[in-house]
Amino acid sequence: MAHIFLLPWMIGMIGVTAGPLVASAVLAFTDYDLLSPPQFIGLDNFVRMAGDERFWAAVRVTLVYVLVSVPLQLGFALFLAVVLDKGLRGLSLYRSAFYLPSLLGGSVAIAILWRQIFGEEGLVNHVLGWFGVELGSWLQDPSLALSTLVVLNVWTFGSPMVIFLAGLRQIPEELYEASMIDGAGRVRRFWSITIPLLTPIIFLNLILQMISAFQAFTQAHVVSGGSGGPLDSTLFYTLYIYQRGFVNFDMGYASAMAWVLLLVIAAATAANFIVSRRWVYYGDE
Amino acid sequence: MAATFRTSTASRIVRHVVLVVFVLLMIYPLLWMLVSSFKPSNLILSQTGLVPTELTLDNYADGWGALGSPFSLFLGNSLLIGVGSVLGNLFSCSLTAYALARLNFRMNKFYLALTLMTIMLPFHVLVIPQYILFAELGWINTYIPLLLPKFLATDAVFIFLMVQFIRALPRELDQAAMIDGAGPFRIFWSVILPLMQPALITTTIFTFIWTWNDYFGPLLYLTRTELYTVPVALKSLVDTETQSGIGTMFAMSLVSLVPIVLFFIFAQRYIIKGIATTGIK
Amino acid sequence: MSDLTRRSFLTWTGAGVLSLAAMSLVGCSPSGSGSNGSVRFAWWGGSDRQRAYLKALDAFTAEHPEIKVAPEFGDYDAYQERMTTQMAARDVPDVFWIPSPAVLTYRGAGLYRDLDGIEGLDLSAFSAEQIESFRLGGTLDTLPKSVFSPVVRYNTTFLDEDGVTLPDELTWDSLAEFLVDYAKDNPEGRKGTTYGPYHDMPFESFLRQRGEDLWTEDGRLGATVDGVAAWIDWWEKLRKAGATTTVSEQDGIEPSWSQVGGKVLVTFANSNHIVDDAQAFPDYVFDQRDMPAAPDAAAGHHFTYYSRFAMYSGVPEDRIQPAAALMSFNLNSPELLSLVGLSAGAPPNTALLDQYEPDATPDEQKVIAVTREIAATEQRARFEAPAGSGSWRELMIRELEEITLGQKSVPDAASAFVSAVESEIAGA
Repeated sequence: MAHIFLLPWMIGMIGVTAGPLVASAVLAFTDYDLLSPPQFIGLDNFVRMAGDERFWAAVRVTLVYVLVSVPLQLGFALFLAVVLDKGLRGLSLYRSAFYLPSLLGGSVAIAILWRQIFGEEGLVNHVLGWFGVELGSWLQDPSLALSTLVVLNVWTFGSPMVIFLAGLRQIPEELYEASMIDGAGRVRRFWSITIPLLTPIIFLNLILQMISAFQAFTQAHVVSGGSGGPLDSTLFYTLYIYQRGFVNFDMGYASAMAWVLLLVIAAATAANFIVSRRWVYYGDE
Repeated sequence: MAATFRTSTASRIVRHVVLVVFVLLMIYPLLWMLVSSFKPSNLILSQTGLVPTELTLDNYADGWGALGSPFSLFLGNSLLIGVGSVLGNLFSCSLTAYALARLNFRMNKFYLALTLMTIMLPFHVLVIPQYILFAELGWINTYIPLLLPKFLATDAVFIFLMVQFIRALPRELDQAAMIDGAGPFRIFWSVILPLMQPALITTTIFTFIWTWNDYFGPLLYLTRTELYTVPVALKSLVDTETQSGIGTMFAMSLVSLVPIVLFFIFAQRYIIKGIATTGIK
Repeated sequence: MSDLTRRSFLTWTGAGVLSLAAMSLVGCSPSGSGSNGSVRFAWWGGSDRQRAYLKALDAFTAEHPEIKVAPEFGDYDAYQERMTTQMAARDVPDVFWIPSPAVLTYRGAGLYRDLDGIEGLDLSAFSAEQIESFRLGGTLDTLPKSVFSPVVRYNTTFLDEDGVTLPDELTWDSLAEFLVDYAKDNPEGRKGTTYGPYHDMPFESFLRQRGEDLWTEDGRLGATVDGVAAWIDWWEKLRKAGATTTVSEQDGIEPSWSQVGGKVLVTFANSNHIVDDAQAFPDYVFDQRDMPAAPDAAAGHHFTYYSRFAMYSGVPEDRIQPAAALMSFNLNSPELLSLVGLSAGAPPNTALLDQYEPDATPDEQKVIAVTREIAATEQRARFEAPAGSGSWRELMIRELEEITLGQKSVPDAASAFVSAVESEIAGA
């Protein structure tokens, strides 16, 4: 019975996804330069990874990015969603304004915009100048370049915000009304009703944003011009995969790296799922 | 809508002020882009402020016809793919999510895990085998490689999103309907789907916007300029080697923002309208 | 399962399938991968070049009504990404431009068709000597679509405003001195030049003057550690003396011309760049001249770079001649040249160039002048970058980042660069 519902998914899985998935898994154990047939080399790619300086740089950069930008982004998204959920005039305008950056997030224009804002004479340095802080271009400073990308991710909090709004909408009004009859104040209602019933959505956003942050590519590619610089300080993991695969024609190594990423994300997601039993409340239990 | 707690005028004003400041910070980059699109191309990068010294409409005039066809062609192409993708995702992901969230069967958890796994692999390593597949089928320079996967529930993100939304709904609803003699299809159609409206709206919004902004897929599969979607067309406006064309790119980027912003403003009202019934009683 | 629910379910399914069918029909087009007999032609550039070539292709079709062309355009990065995928899928366009780092890589992959004796390929404008120079390893499998050389470009408006003139003979030392002087206390805060050691062609010129080759005939890196270090040292002296824009000012090791062009007097560039770059600053006038050279520079150090294009080895029999006709059109047509101009370089067909000259814009005249000047010099052979060296410019840029951030000394960076390039070549 269930399998009738799952028919499109199965066709998609077998026809479109499984083939490339399996192909990339196999390629991870080969030396493939896109021009001649792949050659089996066993675990060599993985051994090479362990000794590859740039690989570890990419790991570090990506981990920092995930651990810093995801909580920040979700924090803003939740805060604004709650503020914008009810009782404010001009609500839809505010919501659209906050969502606007997400629409631009992956576009070509961002590179230039970000360079202007964080450049030597950009807005950020201008404002810092009022406080007497003189800095050069943020994008050329290895210790600051990554923060511009974190800011970029946080700036695009519109997507998780919309999901939070949808989740907030799904909480039945009667629950709030009943609790008010019982004398509960605004804060009490927030912590006893809103948050618990929102936990499946918080969890959803957490997983989605975490996976998306692990795989972030366009922002780094476009802002650093594809180099991951300066000095690999913005070398996101998928950017390095792209360089190895599409620029150096080293697709076997790139596939190996991709599967390592998949395993890490799977582990992180599984860990989150396990921990979620403690704090996520599902209506169907 | 029942915002029944009272707010004092003072706290309302404070809220508005804070929000307005925040909004300005958020849209400053867009304001800069808007102003720059009216500057002559050579002044854009050399002037970092918001106040332009010279204004011109050239970027809009040039950009519109820059690739040989009017830009509205690319907007139309993106619209077509966007709408198609939305229909595909709504159709396939809702069916799949219902099965995974509500129907108990042996492979349930495994399929869910498999679905999640497909989100976790970076697309660059899947691109080449997929391209070879579609090239063999002769589907290059058609929209099939971009649309067909949507009808086959390959956008696992939305499956997962819908699963989470469905799981937030109490099982009593299903049980009540089953007592009335409804089978799984009936429950799906009459009970779950209507209550899933926010998830469906969200899927619609994000599918449309993500496919609107999708670059790599259209780049690879569409080599004829007339088939281009907006992101590919925008990228083609700037010459990598000389960096000329930034003005036209800004102008056309803003033009392209208009449909999706309008779409978003329109669609989000449905989130406000919310669920028809709460379903508790 | 009641009839009502089955019907609703089927409606849902039916709607889905119908929409899919409708979508795919709408997006369908008869020309799959050129399977209907059109010749696929791929090139890169900005929107101006895209339009110009589309018009030129129309002119070609007017001349050859029986040949249809399927154009495939992309900007430089997009072109390479698409090309890489097409290569892997063996679905390469019939006639395609070759990015410079990839010439020998593609050759090693067997992407080029041997062009010797192909009917319809008109090479009559070239001397036997020239055709020999087009060969790679003895085979004529690529042809130059345009040529250019490294030059020194300068802003004559600034020269006038600041009341200085460039010395007639430029050596590396005299140029350095001149730039440092210029930037010192310049009233407008102008700098002598951008920080430019990443630039591949001037780098090659510098090496050749020392008697080294950038790439050797047997496919190795010909630059020595000393050569690389000397090149970077020349730039570092300028940077430390404040004669160049800072890396922060120019937002990267590779500056964007539109951002810094108004701040510098001089820049190193390819001879064709002036055509596009000058348009970014319509208020200024630019001119260009040959690279600086010491009197003891090695003989024959000048060189002309061939930007190449080729025919795909997998072109089916019935499309070879039409493809060859298209290539001939690219090489010999005055109409194409008048539409496309010299932004991608001068045509290798000198008769064609002479014919075009009276209609050339002032900036294009400057390209022609310097092209002729360099063509008249003695030039010892140069060789293409070997397979595996494709990312050598990125490797150079990474070393330069470390140097400019004070994290590495020039000799260490130079030797790191040389080993990195050599190991990439060895790994290919």
